[in-house]
Amino acid sequence: MSRFFATGSDSESEESSSADEITPKATGTTFSKHIVCCPLRFRFEELTNIIKTIRNAMKIRDMSKCLEEFEQLYRAFLKSKTIVDKEGVPQFYIRLLADLEDYLNQLWEDKEGKKKMNKNNAKALSTLRQKIRKYNKDFETEIVSYKEVLNCSPNVISSSSKSDDDEDVTAKSLMKKKPQEEEKKAPEASKFLKGESESEEDEESEDWGSDSVDSGGESEDNEGAAASLAVVFLKKYVYGDKQPERKKDDRRKRHKKMEQVDEEADEEGEGEEGGWEKVKGGVPLVKEKPKMFAKGTEINNAVVIKKLNEILQARGKKGTDRSAQIELFHALAGISNENNLGEGILVKIKFNIIASLYDYNTNLAAFMKAEMWKKCLECIDELLDILFENSNIFIGENIAEDSENLAISDQPFRVRGCILTLVERMDEEFTKIMQNTDPHSQEYVDNLKDEGRVCGIIDRLLQYLESKGSTEEVCRVYLRRIMHTYYKFDYKAHRRSLGLQGETKSEQDQEESEGEDSAIIMDRLCKFIYAKDRTDRIRTCAILCHIYHHALHSRWYQARDLMLMSHLQDNIQHADPPVQILYNRTMVQLGICAFRQGMIKDAHNALLDIQSSGRAKELLGQGLLMRNMQERNAEQEKIEKRRQVPFHMHINLELLECVYLVSAMLLEIPYMAAHEFDARRRMISKQFHHQLRVGERQPLLGPPESMREHVVAASKAMKMGDWRTCHSFIINEKMNSKVWDLFPETQRVREMLVRKIQEESLRTYLFTYSSVYDSISMATLSEMFELELPTVHSIISKMIINEELMASLDQPTQTVVMHRTEPTSLQNMTLQLAEKLGGLVENNERVFDLKQGVYGGYFNRGTRTRPRNLIKDHFQIKINCGYQQRQNYQRGGYRNQNQSSY
Amino acid sequence: GDRLNGFENGKTQLLCLCVRLQVVLKIIKHYQEEGQGSEVVQGVLLGLVVEDRLEITNCFPFPQHTEDDVDFDEVQYQMEMMRSLRHVNIDHLHVGWYQSTYYGSFVSRALLDSQFSYQHAIEESVVLIYDPIKTAQGSLCLKAYRLTPKLMEICKEKDFSPEALKKACIGYEHMLEEVPIVIKNSHLINVLLLDLQEKSTVADKHELLNLSSSNHLEKSLQLLMDRVDGMSQEIVKYNTYCRNLTKQQQQKQQYLQRRQQENTQRQSRGEPPLPEEDINKMFKPPQAPPRMDTLLIAGQVNNYCQNIKAFTSQNLGKLFMAEALQGHSS
Repeated sequence: MSRFFATGSDSESEESSSADEITPKATGTTFSKHIVCCPLRFRFEELTNIIKTIRNAMKIRDMSKCLEEFEQLYRAFLKSKTIVDKEGVPQFYIRLLADLEDYLNQLWEDKEGKKKMNKNNAKALSTLRQKIRKYNKDFETEIVSYKEVLNCSPNVISSSSKSDDDEDVTAKSLMKKKPQEEEKKAPEASKFLKGESESEEDEESEDWGSDSVDSGGESEDNEGAAASLAVVFLKKYVYGDKQPERKKDDRRKRHKKMEQVDEEADEEGEGEEGGWEKVKGGVPLVKEKPKMFAKGTEINNAVVIKKLNEILQARGKKGTDRSAQIELFHALAGISNENNLGEGILVKIKFNIIASLYDYNTNLAAFMKAEMWKKCLECIDELLDILFENSNIFIGENIAEDSENLAISDQPFRVRGCILTLVERMDEEFTKIMQNTDPHSQEYVDNLKDEGRVCGIIDRLLQYLESKGSTEEVCRVYLRRIMHTYYKFDYKAHRRSLGLQGETKSEQDQEESEGEDSAIIMDRLCKFIYAKDRTDRIRTCAILCHIYHHALHSRWYQARDLMLMSHLQDNIQHADPPVQILYNRTMVQLGICAFRQGMIKDAHNALLDIQSSGRAKELLGQGLLMRNMQERNAEQEKIEKRRQVPFHMHINLELLECVYLVSAMLLEIPYMAAHEFDARRRMISKQFHHQLRVGERQPLLGPPESMREHVVAASKAMKMGDWRTCHSFIINEKMNSKVWDLFPETQRVREMLVRKIQEESLRTYLFTYSSVYDSISMATLSEMFELELPTVHSIISKMIINEELMASLDQPTQTVVMHRTEPTSLQNMTLQLAEKLGGLVENNERVFDLKQGVYGGYFNRGTRTRPRNLIKDHFQIKINCGYQQRQNYQRGGYRNQNQSSY
Repeated sequence: GDRLNGFENGKTQLLCLCVRLQVVLKIIKHYQEEGQGSEVVQGVLLGLVVEDRLEITNCFPFPQHTEDDVDFDEVQYQMEMMRSLRHVNIDHLHVGWYQSTYYGSFVSRALLDSQFSYQHAIEESVVLIYDPIKTAQGSLCLKAYRLTPKLMEICKEKDFSPEALKKACIGYEHMLEEVPIVIKNSHLINVLLLDLQEKSTVADKHELLNLSSSNHLEKSLQLLMDRVDGMSQEIVKYNTYCRNLTKQQQQKQQYLQRRQQENTQRQSRGEPPLPEEDINKMFKPPQAPPRMDTLLIAGQVNNYCQNIKAFTSQNLGKLFMAEALQGHSS
């Protein structure tokens, strides 16, 4: 870039010194010029570089290198096709083709030399020869004309052949061909035109010098230098008679440049004089402010679109100043506004502004800067304003570039572009900004305030698309809306349902509460998606969000039914990670909802998968786990970072764990008490047991501090049936502030919890101590556990029915009479021993089987003659006894057996 | 002199063990003071060999010491102790050691190792096992054991592989031999005892009639189960070894067959046979698991079973007695 600026200022100084009438025009266009010139220059530089290598290879007769480079050249040439189309085939390219062909032919003829060549080279030579023959056919005319020139000006050739051969541009060819060289050329040419002989001489000598050194050391402006050199020759040899013609030529050149730069040629028509007219206007210019159009140009649609395309071409190119581009677009929008070019064009420009705002960050991981983001929001808002005001604008991705209608006419506007995509992208950018902001800073809060605007935009877009968009688009925008709604708790509706509505403090609250309940909105949007969506993903997301929303608002049955109906549990593992994260979030929310409703078992089941992995944080997309680089490289880490859920949507992990542990406690402690002696009892929750073990390992047990310690302490109390202590550990100041106060209906949850603790403690108590009692009065139990008599009655009845408690109820005295048919601990132990012995014998048998065939067996020593079957039978009986007993016991029939025997 | 008389040729069997009451009381006292629960107390027995019997006349405990005292030297302590005892004219010949036990669990590797080293150094040495729990139930339980000559042989070889044990023909029954114990007192003490017996209340004597059994049985069963688990593990280990061995044998056979076939082919073609390779190098037999632990576990299991059996038969008797009494009274 600096080079360009340098040249630009160069020409400026030139212009000021000379104050001529030609140069200012060039300066007037400098800014826009280098945007256009850049790719051209870049491409040509590439070409010249390759050509240089080819020429070097030619010199050393390295045919394979030649071939290789030629193919590269060919590809590079194809790449610069667009420019070539505009500019004509560059002279140096033709020159090379011609030279190369000649050279190859020459080599081909040289039989001696060919023989000397090594195999590779010879092969390459023939291939290359064929290739170039074929290829040159496309450029036949150019080559012929080049050769003509070559022939008719031998002087030039002779002189230039002294210099390096790759730089010999002949005067004629220069005259005939329009110059491909760029900005440097212009001032130089003008110099010559003015006839400043001193500087000319200087140039000349310089050029000579540099040229004669070597091609290798030359930079990309070789061609330019060569060209000017050629002009020097030209001047020397053809000065006088050809001057007017050349002048005209120069004029044309200049005009051509204008075409490149401003692309106004079309509208200006063929007239060369138009160029001259323009020149007059563009004198006073401020360098910094880029000038869109030369003054006086009639600004109409076509011009603006031209300009727009021109700016667009620079997009994505290396070295394009992206912020400047945005500026340019803005300026263009201003111009089109000033000139009342209609909304069509404005919409088009707005689209491009937003797109270039998104482009500003080349890195996918980087997030938008605050001011960019603000600008983006504004722009989208304005765009939506325009779209709402003008119902006659059609926008869509499917509208082809050439069928656009941007001009004001009777026809409705047709603009290519997709507002939905832009808004989606904006939403993603918002997420990205939130992901990259420290959640505990004020900045985060500030950024979060924009969420309202984002939602507003999505809402407006939703309105717009509902009237204009296709079903698919509506589904997409609905999903966006859902995504911004599902995780928010609807306090208004909550308050209303509690009957607290009415005396809200301010009018603003009143106003806010007038909006639709989020539940209704969710319902409407989701149902539309269920009905209309054809992509599976949107529907899946919508269902999950819907469930989440239900669960968040304690509509447990709706949430559960929807989850079961969707069958998502079966195939969620095939979904992409973001959807899986959403699913995990939903499951967790569902579990917490179940807990609030007192469905402890459901809560436990829903949370089990997430909690048991020990990676809840990662599974919910709420942070990365520390892992070493072997498991995850930097790339993966970046991807994972992009998946993170923004902080304001997080589910409190401590709450999650606490809910899980408390559910596990309520399930596990009675279960443990009931199956104290069962050797093969299963753990309901490994996580919970782990916590218990950690608690046991403490050498010194202080009062609980953390949430986990509280739960462990409570579990211990519950084990003894001491519900009061358990209660005080679960519900107290610390736990309230840590966990329970996070629930919207905290009081209700606490009441539910107390009740559950009482019930489960009662059950645990009965399991643990039933063997001590002959009978126990239900009134006593009800007193002990502060439960009503009917509740106690129902709990005990349930236990009896489930065969968990061997007892019967004595109605008149309201007592529970224990049957004492549970096997005593000694009996239990004996059963266990029997089982173990069974295993032992089985293992022994296996050794025996092995030994028997090969060696005769360890046990056979001394008793070789003893029939093996006998031993086996003997063992068999033992095993059977063990099994029999075990099976009986498992079926609960052990007790019956005993009963009958008593 | 006496000492040499009996055991010089190593043939004479130790027929009897005379233990002074003093020793018994000292052991009991030691346990009561220092042993708790499953903790084990140990000490040194002193005495001398008289003809075919070993008289144990005194003992002293090993002091309890934590692992923190690195300075503590047990051997040094013993030597000091014996020297001191000698000064006061007490028998100072080292003839074995004693150990308390918890529900009859004492057959262990540690016991085997130390008894082996004792018996290796001092041929007549014995180990006295004192069971405080049984004693608490009313009958003094003190037993003396020695390693059998067979086991001594094996321990000397230090080869516990399955083959070696098989060759030695040793089973868990033949590992330890019990030496009968006679408690001998001076007449004065006998008189004192009789006197005390007269004075003691009835309640003191009838610990033996305690009917409760489940606690003791449960503990025994637990320990038994633990050992059975250990046995199972050992068997699984051995089983894996056997399977691996068989598998390797098969591979070896296959390899040999292939080799042979190839060689015969080569021979028919007139080529020299393939060079013999060290097959054992190619097929390294898997490491055999030592079987000593299995034997010890079996011994211990046997021990538990004996204990339980004795206990239950005794208790059954008591229960019948109680039933008869109840029937009689009602």
